[in-house]
Amino acid sequence: MSTKSERDGRSSRRHLSPGRLASGGLTQIVLIGYAALVVYPLLIMVASSLKTTGEIFANPLSLVPATVRLGNYVDAWNQANFGTYFRNSIFVCVVSVLLILFFGSMAAYVLARFSFPGNRAIYLLFLAGFMIPIRLAIVPLFIMMRDLHLLDTLWSLIVVYIAGGMPFTVFLLVSFFRHIPRDLEDAAVLDGAGPFQVYYQIMLPLVRPALATVGLFQFLNVWNDFFFPLIFIRSENLRTVPLGVSAFFGEYTNDWALMFAALSISIMPVIIIYLLASKQFIAGLTSGAIK
Amino acid sequence: MIRALRSREHGPSTGGDGVAVPTKRHRTVSMRRYTYLLMLAPGLAMYLAFIIWPFANTIRFSFYNWSGLGPMTDFVGFGNYTSLFDRAPINRQFSNALSNTAQVFLLSTVLSTFVGLIFALILSRKIPGSRFYQALYFMPNTLSVIVVGFLWNLLLNPQFGAVNSVLRGVGLDNLARPWLGDPNFALPSIVAVSAWANMGFPILIFLSAILGIPSDLVEAARLDGASELRVIATIVIPLLWPTLITLIVLNFIASVNTFELVFAMEGSEGGPFFATDVLGTLFYRMAFGGVGGVYAGTGLGGAAALATLMLVIVLPVSVFVIVFQRKVSHEY
Repeated sequence: MSTKSERDGRSSRRHLSPGRLASGGLTQIVLIGYAALVVYPLLIMVASSLKTTGEIFANPLSLVPATVRLGNYVDAWNQANFGTYFRNSIFVCVVSVLLILFFGSMAAYVLARFSFPGNRAIYLLFLAGFMIPIRLAIVPLFIMMRDLHLLDTLWSLIVVYIAGGMPFTVFLLVSFFRHIPRDLEDAAVLDGAGPFQVYYQIMLPLVRPALATVGLFQFLNVWNDFFFPLIFIRSENLRTVPLGVSAFFGEYTNDWALMFAALSISIMPVIIIYLLASKQFIAGLTSGAIK
Repeated sequence: MIRALRSREHGPSTGGDGVAVPTKRHRTVSMRRYTYLLMLAPGLAMYLAFIIWPFANTIRFSFYNWSGLGPMTDFVGFGNYTSLFDRAPINRQFSNALSNTAQVFLLSTVLSTFVGLIFALILSRKIPGSRFYQALYFMPNTLSVIVVGFLWNLLLNPQFGAVNSVLRGVGLDNLARPWLGDPNFALPSIVAVSAWANMGFPILIFLSAILGIPSDLVEAARLDGASELRVIATIVIPLLWPTLITLIVLNFIASVNTFELVFAMEGSEGGPFFATDVLGTLFYRMAFGGVGGVYAGTGLGGAAALATLMLVIVLPVSVFVIVFQRKVSHEY
């Protein structure tokens, strides 16, 4: 532990040194430079989505379109059926995330609180799925979906997302449940509450922040996934947004304005969510995922 | 343990719920004792049915010659595996994809993990706006990889793409090139795009590890007159080893998993001329892309063999990271 005066002494020295000032300027330049590298492509994307294809070709770097053409969005939305893709993606996301949270938190609560033979083995089995790429199991999954007649339905996606979401959810929530003091539950058990009541009425409200974090990450995972829709979905009217973007790129290769509009449409929801909840993301990642 | 003791204090009639206490007095109580297992069931059942069982089947499929239809009877032992190594043209494509995947791993370790470390070191120095930069740098992580791929596909277009326009604009005309069409630059371009999309993650994790270093260690060294670089080299970096290794391993797993970016930017054949073909795209073609084509004969068994090999590559590394993490977290 350093005392306050030591710290002050050091920081005043830091301000006085011209070398430090120079390096401070340099680091700001590096940081701003990389920030530009992150943002500029996205700004170009949005700007281009408001131009004509001719203007994009003539002047790809300008961020201000000559005339703002919102028509690209209307065209992309209508021609490419983005309305349908959005509906599909939202349906799959909502159902998957809700069921992941429900099933995952129940399982995590049981694993965190009850001792029974096999508890540890089941926990480790969940943990094993944590870092194995589930897409490597796609061949038998495809056959299974075919035999269950789920192929080319949104349920094939939902089922895989729920199963695939378990390891992360269980892993994170078990550690949260373990940190909750037992007194509250014990009191409820004394009052005759069953395990489900204890879980639902007492434990779940206490881990709400963790649930929000898990929900956020799972939502992104599901919303952004391209691989499983690519394999499972054939019908045009069942495409999710990423699959729709992909099909769109195959069809409208030369209409750049439309392609940029389609990209912007598909990225927008995620950016908005991130702008609203970036703190939660960062806190969730740095506290839970890696420790 | 404690729980069992405690509930014994309460007596069997009150401590009946899910507690390992022998109570057979009331039938309802002993039924209720197991209701907690019903709560475990849905999640566990889904996970077993749609993750564990398919994984087991992947391994089983890999020993059969099977087209996906009819009964699976043609047992070929390790035949599907050996054909990855000695049967043309699969063997050439396999070794090419393996080497490209290794290159993706090595390049992205430098471009994303190490560069991420440098940014984290910079951001750890209480810089004005540090939180803002952190949040901004992480933003591309939230985007769909396939969409990022298509976006950069347009930006890297040789004639109309923004990248070449920038290069021409600042007088570096001879650097402008068909990034994705040149076999020498296609793979590095894809890794660069992947670094653009993922850099925020290593930055974030390194940064929280750096901020977790006890400040008295660093302060003491500074008071002894150690320079900033010396503090970083002798105190910060050694303490970051566990984080560094974890991030390299995660990057390894992600590299073996590479698929979407290549698919979006170079197609499922990993063009130009297979210069960007990775294990992920080869696996996709073997499983779903080549019916009756080049891959006739390998069938689903061949794809399952490749998937099993990839699993064999990834699994020990995953297990290592989990065990390693636990050890490290015990140390702190």
